[in-house]
Amino acid sequence: MSRPRLQLAGFALALVLGLATTGCRDLSQATGDPGKLRVGIVFDSGGKDDRSFNAAAFRGVQQAAKDFPIVLRDAEPGDPASLEPAMRAFAEVGYDLVIGIGFAQTPIVEAVAKDYPKVNFAIVDGVSSLPNVASLIFKEHEGSYLVGMIAAHTSKTGKIGFVGGMDVPLIHKFQVGYEEGARAVNPEIQVIQNYVGVTEAAWNNPGKGKELAVAQIGKGADVLFAAAGNSGLGVFDAVEQLDKLVIGVDSNQNWVKPGHVLTSMVKRVDNAVYQIIGDLVNRRFQGGIHVYGLPDGGIGYAMDQYNEKLISPLVIQDVEAAKAKIIRGEITVTDAMAQ
Amino acid sequence: MSFLRQLLFPLAAVAAAFAVGALVVLAVGDSPLNTYALLIGSALSWPDGIGYTLFYATPLIFTGLAVAVAFRCGLLNIGAEGQLYIAAFATAWVGIVLAGWPAWLLVPLCILTALLTGGFWAAVPGVLKARFGAHEVITTIMMNFIAVALASYFTQYHYKPPGDPILQTVPIGENAHVARIGALVPGIPERIPLNLAFPLALAACLLVYLFLWRTRWGYQIRATGANPAAALYGGIATGKQIVLAMSLSGALAGLVAVNEVLGYRYRYYDSFSAGYGFTGIAVALLGRNHPVGVILASLLFGALLRGGLFVDIFTEHVSKDLVMVLQGVIILFVAAEALFRGRGEKRVKSV
Repeated sequence: MSRPRLQLAGFALALVLGLATTGCRDLSQATGDPGKLRVGIVFDSGGKDDRSFNAAAFRGVQQAAKDFPIVLRDAEPGDPASLEPAMRAFAEVGYDLVIGIGFAQTPIVEAVAKDYPKVNFAIVDGVSSLPNVASLIFKEHEGSYLVGMIAAHTSKTGKIGFVGGMDVPLIHKFQVGYEEGARAVNPEIQVIQNYVGVTEAAWNNPGKGKELAVAQIGKGADVLFAAAGNSGLGVFDAVEQLDKLVIGVDSNQNWVKPGHVLTSMVKRVDNAVYQIIGDLVNRRFQGGIHVYGLPDGGIGYAMDQYNEKLISPLVIQDVEAAKAKIIRGEITVTDAMAQ
Repeated sequence: MSFLRQLLFPLAAVAAAFAVGALVVLAVGDSPLNTYALLIGSALSWPDGIGYTLFYATPLIFTGLAVAVAFRCGLLNIGAEGQLYIAAFATAWVGIVLAGWPAWLLVPLCILTALLTGGFWAAVPGVLKARFGAHEVITTIMMNFIAVALASYFTQYHYKPPGDPILQTVPIGENAHVARIGALVPGIPERIPLNLAFPLALAACLLVYLFLWRTRWGYQIRATGANPAAALYGGIATGKQIVLAMSLSGALAGLVAVNEVLGYRYRYYDSFSAGYGFTGIAVALLGRNHPVGVILASLLFGALLRGGLFVDIFTEHVSKDLVMVLQGVIILFVAAEALFRGRGEKRVKSV
């Protein structure tokens, strides 16, 4: 072995040894100050910038990180196979609360929560019976009913559209509520519905979302409800190009394409995750089912400066009346998931 | 000494990669010390870190071996990804359909299914190459798409539990499960998915070594890879060797199913592979197409997979793409060495 080669070998060996020593430092220290409460959040495949469902959750945890003395870390696994390792990583280093975003994580949260009974978990849109899991669920069908009414009032063609993300019971809940609301206003109305896909990738395919929206508009629909996460942004593009109207979902999306967004069916995932972190901080964390709906503002439709000119006060009056009736139990909206 | 010399360049490549990685971490505004503490600390912590590193290394050993065996015959098998997908689905299918069979029969049958399906999927490009001269790089890539699409189709329309939002099959029978190491060795928690596929992978390395360097068939494969014209002239049916090497390569890739289906998820799960088939190419390259090298490279890449997750989650700015940077630089350096050597060999040849 020549001399420069030996030197190279020595250098390599020293570096590897050095790295190994740094690795021996305390892992829990490197994963965030263990003196504080530590909260981890695992987003679904849409990612936290989907301006919709995940974005709402992200706003909520960010607000909580501002208001409470906690350490906050997030994971964006991107593909479904990486969800479980991310969730386990948080539990393994002893985080106090791990939040899973999206129904697809329900079985994963259940499996991990069984292995780590001392760690608290929360799952948005899923239900678990384990004592250390808080299930945060929403009455999306009721909010969808209200935006369905607005859509039917606004449509000039008597045809409205629905673009769902993944073809699953949770999204059928949006679709059925939307249809019932629209029929309550106009029994003759025609609802054209399509889903982007049948896998997790359906949340992240704006191209397909746009394609479906263009096809629906071609068939005469002039108001489209997009419940499709990131894919919904394709629907926004389509209505802007063809000068139609879209209804946003989960977050208030009225600002995304001003003038083309009729309203948004808001699902206050941000409030729900904020509250559960607040509960943890105040030592009130409880497992079990937490339901958010119309009375507590967990579900609603968004009105602001971007869409006030698009909806007449008379329509609002009608919708508010229906909202009060739903809360009083005089109108029952079908929950497609409960069937 | 020659063994040490073999190790020298890969080690230098790894060291250089970490140095470059540190610069990248600095550039995005995090502390390299903290980042590497996370990367290495999470990969080597006991028991979870080591357990997961070995668990992630297992499929890479299989695919690395698969690529190495094909490479020894002068073939570039880019299709390990498709071979492992189709094998995983077939293995899950046997585990579902014959769920009632006793474990002593069902587990070997499932493993045999993994071997045969993966082997068959790779034999097709092998035959196309041997008989029609179709380039295996093209055909294996095409076979990847077919494998993934077929498995997804059957999962979606025939074997998915009704109403399940996740694209996965119904679970395989319990008798088809391969035991987790945690269930056998006290002190290792059973939540760590490391399973008996790992010792199987080590055994496969030994068998591949014995086959390639201690048997006549192995010699014929290597001769075909080293110089097909000379091998043909020497009386070796090179076409047969190509088909044999490809089948073996596919069978090894198919064994990933033992780790993922029989030992971890207990079902076929759409897009379960984190690109194991493609990382296998890097593993074989870094491991110099030798079983021992494949094991070492797999351990390194397994540790990077595990550590990358922690870096991604627990640093402010660094994403798991850092691991891609590290892998990329390692491969670059190793490839550069091959270039360096290639020049020397050419000089010898021109004499």
